[in-house]
Amino acid sequence: MSEQQGQSGSTAPQYVPQRADMEYLCADCGAKNEIKPREPIRCRECGHRIMYKKRTKRMVQFEAR
Amino acid sequence: MATRSLNDPRRQVKVGTERVYDVANTEFPGNYPGEDHSWNLKKFRKDLKVEIQRLSRRSVEFDLVGVDASIANAFRRILIAEVPTIAIEHVYVWNNTSVIHDEVLAQRLGLVPLDVDPSQMEYHNGVATDRNTLVFRLQVACERRKGAAREETDPEKLYKNSNVLAKHLTWVPQGEQESFFADHPPKPTNDNILLAKLRPGQEIEIELHAIKGQGNEHAKWSPVGTASYRLLPNIQIHRPIPPPLAEKFQKCFSPGVISVDPTTKEVKVADPRRETMSREVLRHPEFEGMVSLSRIRDFFLFKIETESAYPPERLFTEAVTVFRDKVKRLKVAAQALAVEAAQAREGEADADADAAMETD
Amino acid sequence: MAATDAAKITIMKGYEEGYTAATFALHDETHTIGNALRWMLMKNPKVEFCGYSAPHPSEPVIHLRIQMYDNASAITALTDALENLDQLAIAVNDQYRTSLRRGAFERFEEE
Repeated sequence: MSEQQGQSGSTAPQYVPQRADMEYLCADCGAKNEIKPREPIRCRECGHRIMYKKRTKRMVQFEAR
Repeated sequence: MATRSLNDPRRQVKVGTERVYDVANTEFPGNYPGEDHSWNLKKFRKDLKVEIQRLSRRSVEFDLVGVDASIANAFRRILIAEVPTIAIEHVYVWNNTSVIHDEVLAQRLGLVPLDVDPSQMEYHNGVATDRNTLVFRLQVACERRKGAAREETDPEKLYKNSNVLAKHLTWVPQGEQESFFADHPPKPTNDNILLAKLRPGQEIEIELHAIKGQGNEHAKWSPVGTASYRLLPNIQIHRPIPPPLAEKFQKCFSPGVISVDPTTKEVKVADPRRETMSREVLRHPEFEGMVSLSRIRDFFLFKIETESAYPPERLFTEAVTVFRDKVKRLKVAAQALAVEAAQAREGEADADADAAMETD
Repeated sequence: MAATDAAKITIMKGYEEGYTAATFALHDETHTIGNALRWMLMKNPKVEFCGYSAPHPSEPVIHLRIQMYDNASAITALTDALENLDQLAIAVNDQYRTSLRRGAFERFEEE
């Protein structure tokens, strides 16, 4: 639909230090959850098995068309 | 002022039961022996009639009489596609946790009409400056309202900022804009356009850049809702309608078109503009030969609706200005061609002269 | 906006000696100008034929064909027609503004 690009417009692959544990939000209770590799996906607060990834903190550019 | 009668058959596009007749204009030089139809400004001015009929804050209706369809159409097309306005073009989304997707929201924001006089801005030529770009911010977060009744269901009463509206767009002056737009700060023409809906915890944080553009690039820059014309309906009654049939005759037309005298039952055309040309009257054999329907080929009923920064009555004048600019640019180019052609001919003549000298 | 003024109008190949018949390519123009100009050229008694086309709907170019009587120049006819269109626009605008100034129309509120 519309052109989309991250804030850093450079094409060279930048080295981003990968954090081992990512923060996710529980789809049921909204609690923050850290999920580590090879760990069962389950909310610590309510036991729900669906998680949402957080939105990027980068700016996203669009054309209003 | 228009001197020609509406009953002049050459002005009429005839409307039959199943087809229309005499659609095209035939008044060109050489088409009618002994008649001069070459362009004549004096005659054009005499026959021309432009009359405003109705005006509101958002629309204007006027008659344009005595011009060819190609001219009326040129103005209509310019109104839709070539009169510039200001609209949001670049959308920088910092955060949007609402249910409406970034790209959909960006598209909606582009369509918001902005109250900025386009003559006060320049076209964006790749470099954003305070002369060609307006910056807006949209920063709204929804939260619960304390003290709302437990059984309350109305989101307006339960939450703050449950609706993101056009009035939430705040203008961020750049450079000299603060003083330049001091007496008329940029804002949407309508404060109550719904852009998105929020629930507690959701928020929108966006920076928007608005630039000048034209409807031919994207409809968001079109200053008009509609700019359209129709031809004036014409109803000619050839013979008196028999009094017992007067009411039936009246019902064959749109309300208000035909008037019937309450005592004499005399039938008259009261307001032909309201006729929708249903052709109902042509279906009844009892009215055969009594009436003919047509539209007047050079009688345009213009209607312009706008939600833009322009007051409706100014739009047509703007369209004429754009038209004249286009013509002017073409004229410069055509004159350059004429000069080129003349120089080429002179060059040839010189060469011929040289050749003649040599043979001597 | 795109084409420079020098290349606004080009004469296509195949024109006749002295430009008594020529096809002009009007760049960055549409039916808006094409049809209006065609009409004004047809109002000229020296014009034998005038027609226009938009060769492709997605290319902003108009082709304008002019053929003249009596070895007259099509370029002259074109400049005249443009001048006449300008005069026409002035006349229409004058009358519109006169009507607006006179104020003899209905004013109404919407909604």
